[in-house]
Amino acid sequence: MNDKAETIIEVKNAKKIYRMGSERICAVNDVSFTIQKGEFCCLYGASGSGKSTLLNLMAGIEKLTSGQIIIKGKSIKRMNEKNLAKFRQNNLGFVFQSYNLLNSMTALENVELPLVFKHMKSKLRKRMAKDMLVKVGLGSRIKHKPKEMSGGQQQRVGIARAFVGNPEIVFADEPTGNLDSKTSKEVMDLIQEMARKNHQTIVMVTHDRRLAEYADKIIHIFDGKVEKIEIKKEGPGEMPFEENAADHLAKEEPVTAILQEQPVTG
Amino acid sequence: MKISDILIMGLKSLSRRKARTILTVLGVVIGSLSIIIMRSIGYGMENNFETQVMQQGGLTTITVSTYGDIFDDDGNWVDSKQQKLDNKLVEQIKQIEHVRAVSPVIQMDAMLMSGRYQGWVYITAMDMDSFDDFEFPGLIMGEYPTPQDSSTIIFGFNTPYDFWDTASRGRGRNTKEIDLQKDKLILKFQGYPTNDKKKEFSLPLKNIAKMEQTNGEFDYNTYMDMEYFKKIYLKYCNTLSLENRKKAIKVLDQYQQIKLNVDNIDNVVGVQDEIKALGFQSYSQMQYLQPLQQASQTLQMVLGALGAVAMVVSAISIANTMVMSIYERTKEIGIMKVLGCVIKDIRKLFLFEAALIGLLGGVIGIALGYISSWLINKFGQPLFGALMSGNWMYDMENTSFSIIPIHLPILALCISVSVGLLSGYFPARRATKISAIEAMKTEG
Repeated sequence: MNDKAETIIEVKNAKKIYRMGSERICAVNDVSFTIQKGEFCCLYGASGSGKSTLLNLMAGIEKLTSGQIIIKGKSIKRMNEKNLAKFRQNNLGFVFQSYNLLNSMTALENVELPLVFKHMKSKLRKRMAKDMLVKVGLGSRIKHKPKEMSGGQQQRVGIARAFVGNPEIVFADEPTGNLDSKTSKEVMDLIQEMARKNHQTIVMVTHDRRLAEYADKIIHIFDGKVEKIEIKKEGPGEMPFEENAADHLAKEEPVTAILQEQPVTG
Repeated sequence: MKISDILIMGLKSLSRRKARTILTVLGVVIGSLSIIIMRSIGYGMENNFETQVMQQGGLTTITVSTYGDIFDDDGNWVDSKQQKLDNKLVEQIKQIEHVRAVSPVIQMDAMLMSGRYQGWVYITAMDMDSFDDFEFPGLIMGEYPTPQDSSTIIFGFNTPYDFWDTASRGRGRNTKEIDLQKDKLILKFQGYPTNDKKKEFSLPLKNIAKMEQTNGEFDYNTYMDMEYFKKIYLKYCNTLSLENRKKAIKVLDQYQQIKLNVDNIDNVVGVQDEIKALGFQSYSQMQYLQPLQQASQTLQMVLGALGAVAMVVSAISIANTMVMSIYERTKEIGIMKVLGCVIKDIRKLFLFEAALIGLLGGVIGIALGYISSWLINKFGQPLFGALMSGNWMYDMENTSFSIIPIHLPILALCISVSVGLLSGYFPARRATKISAIEAMKTEG
């Protein structure tokens, strides 16, 4: 899909040590790897292996103990809170295991939220959010609150929120962790489809081997260390799930047309 | 985030928690309402004080009298002493700081005749230069004396009183109202019999002036320039026998009063103290008004303190609401942070909510304040009448007990909004300190 290998994320000797009372727990221990632009990368490992921590470090939500993480040529460590927030606004999208939607807001408002932080005009961002919701197949549910939707629908709202600002990188932390396998496949297909159309980089954390199969690159994490890096030749026939039920969702809408309208802010 | 987005989000989250918002706003309403009510009653008192005092007039005037009354610290009369008032004292008083004008005063009864009708006046002779300084009222007739012609006699609004017929006697005396424009008046002094060899002193009054109504002491007196008075009085003395003349002329050596004018109401008591240091007792209206003023100031402070307590309580209630709101929205704050919301915006959001509670409470409080002020003025008389009994400053008929000047609602609004901001500040700061990761893990 993308021939020139442009490094977008570079992790160098990243280390994260937690202090639990007098004990020190090394959650991420001297990890180094790179992720190319447009790559679908998976951090794969058992629970407690430190993969989620690694994701949080990359997103700048947690602070590195030592080492360096460079995203788009900028060192995350060097940025202050404000710059980090701006950086997240403009470059990062997030999909969470527990969806992390604001229960007080409707689906539309939730999707709108990242655009609100970007000082986008109300009319424009409403249209973008609405288009995005239609694209993930929730066109009829834009006024619903998260509590009124199923898990799969909530996660689709989450995906819409992650992709609405057309970020270069989307972090997904166990995006299907709370979903059944059928819905999981729908959600994964959706993420993959979205990312492919705009050459977005996906960094996904999972402990599910079947989900890891979606990735171009699987980084195996064990006990806070990189065990091995598995690079796959990606092909359309490699779908690990049997059915192809979710495919129509992506075909419905002209995704690229909408995404290209978005002004580049920051 | 844009300001408009912050406003909308703040409004939404307030309206989502209606019951709590209303209760908190109610707290602020009570706070600002009590501030307005308490202050407006205070202003009512002040206003009454001032209008009453204005009517009294001459608040900056101090009088030193021949018979000076001595009071103890509580203002009770103890004694009076005779003091010698002469030109030397006049000069001494002129040296005191804040004294604007000084005038010796001679007061004397005189008789007025108009044909067979007779009346009395009480003449107050003062330096005509000082008339302005003592705030002599405007005239409805004639003109004040000038250096060219100082012979004017100036009647207060209520003088001269009715004349009576000298021919009739007993109860059924005929009285006559004198028309100053038409009737001819002749002035005579009494007290000493005229020397048989000389012609009785009598002065036809040609130059007559009359003051406007002041509702003060001016209304009851008749004024004359000091020099002119001395001149005519000496003429009168010359018509007396030698023995009587000596007695009569003494009046001019010693003044009955020295009046002085002070530049500011606040300095009156200080100047009085200085005069006391010279060894003279003096009198001013301020010395009576001051304790009353102090009492009303104390009352106002008590009222103000009550208002402040109410405001503090509502501040605590706002802070409590905001803290609760942050606990409830911890997860929300975490998500917003991860999605790239700048910390400043989160703080702004909470501050706006707190300020809005303050503003709402303030506005409602002001509206209720105006209503209660109206109610107090309409129905509060029995209560306030009892509260203020013995305070002669209150004119019960025409009094507004509660007055809301335009700056009071503005002040109340400022206070309630800043109470909101202040009590929202620390919770807002707390909100920004929450770790995004921890926040997202909480249930909410």
